[in-house]
Amino acid sequence: MSALPTRGNRRREPLVPGDRAAISSFDRRRPTVRTAMALINVVLFVVLVLACFGPLFLLMKFSVTPTQDILRTPMALFPNGVRWENLASAWNEVQINRYFLNTVVIAAGSWFFQMLVCTTGGYVLSVLRPKYASILNALVISTLFVPAVVLLVPLYLTVLNPPLIGHSLLNTYWAVWLPSAASAFNVVIITRFFDSLPREIFEAARVDGAGPFRLFWSVVLPMSKPILGVASVFAIIASWKDFLWPLLVLKQPAIQPLSVRLPAIQAQTDLGVFLAALAISTLVPVLLFLVFQRSFLRGAGMSGAVKG
Amino acid sequence: MDSAQHSARRRGPLTWVRGGGLTTVVFALPMIIIFGLFSVWPILRSVVMAFQETNLTGTAKWAGLDNFAWVLSDPDLPIAITNTAYFAVLALVFGFPIPLIGAVLMSEVKRLKGFYTTLAYLPAVIPPVVAVLLWRFFYDGAPTGVFNQLLGWIGLGPFPWLNDRLWAMPSLVLEATWAGAGGTVIIYLAALVGVPGELYEAAELDGAGIWRKIWHVTLPQLRGVLFITLILQLIATAQVFLEPYLFTGGGPNKATLTILLMIYNYAFGASLGSDYGAATALSMMLAAFLAVFSLIYFRLTRSWSQS
Amino acid sequence: MSATIRRAIAGLGVVALATTAAACASPTASSPSASQAPTSSAPAAPVNLTVVGLLPGATPEAQKNLANQVKLFEEANPNITVTTKEYEWKATTFAADLAGGTLPDVFEIPFTDAKTLIANGQIADMNDQLGEFPFGGAFNPNVLQYGQGPDGHAYAIPAKSVYGIGLHYNRELFTKAGLDPNKPPTTWDEVRADAKQIADKTKAAGYVQMTQSNTGGWQLTVATYARGGQMETVGADGKATATLDNPGTKAALQFLKDVRWTDNAAGSNFNLDWGTINQAFAAGQIGMYTSGQDVYTSLVQANAIKPDIYGLAMIPLEGDSAGILGGGTMAAVKAGSSDDIRKAAAKWISHWYLSRYTSEKAALAFNQQAFDDKQPVGTPELPMFSDANLEQYRTWIKPLINVPLDHMTDFTSKIGAAKILNEPPVATQDVYAALDPVVQAVFTDKNADIDALLAAANKTAQRAIDKAQR
Repeated sequence: MSALPTRGNRRREPLVPGDRAAISSFDRRRPTVRTAMALINVVLFVVLVLACFGPLFLLMKFSVTPTQDILRTPMALFPNGVRWENLASAWNEVQINRYFLNTVVIAAGSWFFQMLVCTTGGYVLSVLRPKYASILNALVISTLFVPAVVLLVPLYLTVLNPPLIGHSLLNTYWAVWLPSAASAFNVVIITRFFDSLPREIFEAARVDGAGPFRLFWSVVLPMSKPILGVASVFAIIASWKDFLWPLLVLKQPAIQPLSVRLPAIQAQTDLGVFLAALAISTLVPVLLFLVFQRSFLRGAGMSGAVKG
Repeated sequence: MDSAQHSARRRGPLTWVRGGGLTTVVFALPMIIIFGLFSVWPILRSVVMAFQETNLTGTAKWAGLDNFAWVLSDPDLPIAITNTAYFAVLALVFGFPIPLIGAVLMSEVKRLKGFYTTLAYLPAVIPPVVAVLLWRFFYDGAPTGVFNQLLGWIGLGPFPWLNDRLWAMPSLVLEATWAGAGGTVIIYLAALVGVPGELYEAAELDGAGIWRKIWHVTLPQLRGVLFITLILQLIATAQVFLEPYLFTGGGPNKATLTILLMIYNYAFGASLGSDYGAATALSMMLAAFLAVFSLIYFRLTRSWSQS
Repeated sequence: MSATIRRAIAGLGVVALATTAAACASPTASSPSASQAPTSSAPAAPVNLTVVGLLPGATPEAQKNLANQVKLFEEANPNITVTTKEYEWKATTFAADLAGGTLPDVFEIPFTDAKTLIANGQIADMNDQLGEFPFGGAFNPNVLQYGQGPDGHAYAIPAKSVYGIGLHYNRELFTKAGLDPNKPPTTWDEVRADAKQIADKTKAAGYVQMTQSNTGGWQLTVATYARGGQMETVGADGKATATLDNPGTKAALQFLKDVRWTDNAAGSNFNLDWGTINQAFAAGQIGMYTSGQDVYTSLVQANAIKPDIYGLAMIPLEGDSAGILGGGTMAAVKAGSSDDIRKAAAKWISHWYLSRYTSEKAALAFNQQAFDDKQPVGTPELPMFSDANLEQYRTWIKPLINVPLDHMTDFTSKIGAAKILNEPPVATQDVYAALDPVVQAVFTDKNADIDALLAAANKTAQRAIDKAQR
């Protein structure tokens, strides 16, 4: 992939720099091409805004509409006024704030353990390279090819009765954090990145007397910030989206994340308040995305490169 | 020194420690423990459990092929297989061309590329549970349902959406495509960047118009990414769970019952004697099928890529 | 989420009875002041008992009340220490909880699942502890039978919210449609006619029933029993045969088909389980539906229903063997518990769940909490011990009753004479799961072939029954 242009402005095109595409500048001077391109621009704009932004917009609208209006005239423009209380209700009475916090805690823990496992693992596979590295590598990569469904039941039983620890991990966050740390994908992209780091710097550090820990902490990690950013985004997004696994292992409503709790409370919650809760749950990921677009999009593009 | 050479020749444990072997093990430990306990061990265990009868209140009994026989004789299995295949095909029909066309168009327009990219990826950022719950609300079958109202504006009658056998699965696929297309667009865009400009210039020298450039340069260059994305999408849709579970619970009348939903029902369904043996047996069968399918797929596409 | 969870939730903290003397059917008339919890020997050694407390999310006042009761119990039983645990019954993970050791010693289960748990050997035999309970364990046999094993021993003990299925109707929609809200329908033909009128005159669904998460099969079983049908027959050898294709079920499905397609009176949304149908009803979208008679509590707590619109009628019973499906919550003890634990458990169950039937003070204390929280007190219930006892209990808590009993007279006046029937005894949930798709098909497919659907469902149910009885 070509390097990204480093300009200072915020709104840069992340993935398609000034390189050319199929239509050349000569083509563009032809009037038919010009009108076609203008038309495409309009169509693309309208379709993308309606299809991608439309549902979100409707969600925002409904989150502050009284329930009776939502049920009877959903597309009308606030015939009975705006109901901001929906949001407050969702946050306080339905206690979205608590489930929100749970989601954050789960994401933070998953992020931490994933980073721990992937950076140390990548370090071993790429830099330290002991004799058994190839076995480890093969094992990790082989798990990439196993579909997730195979793990579901036995992982559940393992969490129920973990070998080293005495008691069940069910209903604790460990049951979500630890399995999430086994992300072969992140290990692979981090290992590949470490592979691309210039070995001379490591040699220089070793000559300066750096032991493996110093090398890891003060040399390798700081140089790997971009890839760590991407891996972090993956880890946090995956944790935020997780549904089936927390559904199975976190049975107490008090510790459940949003993804598990929202469907469960729908039948007891006023529709307007419920949609407000949905809106609040969407807000954070969307905001994070808008702020950290580059990392997101770079990561998304990278997943294609890795698998290819 | 003499003693150091002596120990080096012996290559004892002390050398290993001094040589940094212990540190390496310490670094490798998190990965070994986590992957071992929560990835490799469960996979191996899954294979074993498929041949056992696990009741949790007792010890696991050896059941031979009973679990497989049970699953294969389940009248719901053919239904689930058909539905899963149906979902996969529909998802392909909707979800393959659209991101491709979108990505090609987006790579050709000169302005607002960043804006379009952000918009396209936006649905992928919304948590899937939220998206499904929102769309389930949109899919209300009454005339006052959101989609029914919107379509009513252009004179299309109220549709049953999730309340009809024929409409249920397409409704699921529509939402799934909406949520997933953005990610695919980004992958294609990244690949499109990699198409060398010289190829286009060469084609122009040969007198190729825009369509022919796209057909003969852009698409072939994308072939690798397309093949990979296709197989990955098939593998993912074969394991679809969230949409059927949250939208319809497998109904109406099993119209949206997928293989994963069957596995979930075996293991965690409301019948109190959780049938983990049947669940793992079906998981194994699905995994084996996907493995064989992938092998055949890679064989075929390898020969095509080289042509 | 399954119906069983919702039913357990509905019973939280509020139980009351409503039967008038006119419907006295039970011959037993044990005087209310007769022997209370018998004072038998205390456990030999100190016992640590873990019990299920309140549902997660209970109010701080309710927690305080529970802590109070624990203290009282421990003072009366010095050898027993009680620890409460927040626990919510879920059929899906019960086996895992039992194996993982996260289950309290005493926990609550719905009537539906008692027999399956007994057959699986997952709960303890409590027959020898019957003496610990009020009135020497002389429970209403109709109610005790749910927790009895094939050997006639009592395994699970009836604990709270014992109910029968009723027909809930929206009085406001009745009035709007020109029907008399004080004269709910008494035959299935009348139900159909009223449903059509409601659908025609208002935009609501006249009559609809649950369809998902095994509640579809549950309510279809209700409709079947009301027409004299049976889902399973158990032979002399104890082997069960699925009879899902009995005339009662066929008639029930034909009824649904007619309401849905001929009269167009069932609305347009059929993804309904216990919670969502309550929600739709409270929002005024449904005219009539069947569910447990105690659902009013949940309608108030979870769905903010306006009490004025609520009416409770008796389900039309047609046919000689027609009856009402009953339900409720039982207390069970983990299998493998020691004798001391079981004795302590019996004492605790007696104290926490049943003492309200034995003393006015306990009855008032039990319901005061809900009354103060402005939650429903006095929702109808079936007799736990006897009709006379129930009457006595209702008299005790009369000052606290705040549910619109006058809207429920049709039900309360007829329930005493009705036969209370048990759920299908073998592989109950599997039978219900097999029937869900049938109900869904009838509602969503105009050309649904009822006979073919039932034949297929019968095969599936029989398969599950055979496996359960291997």
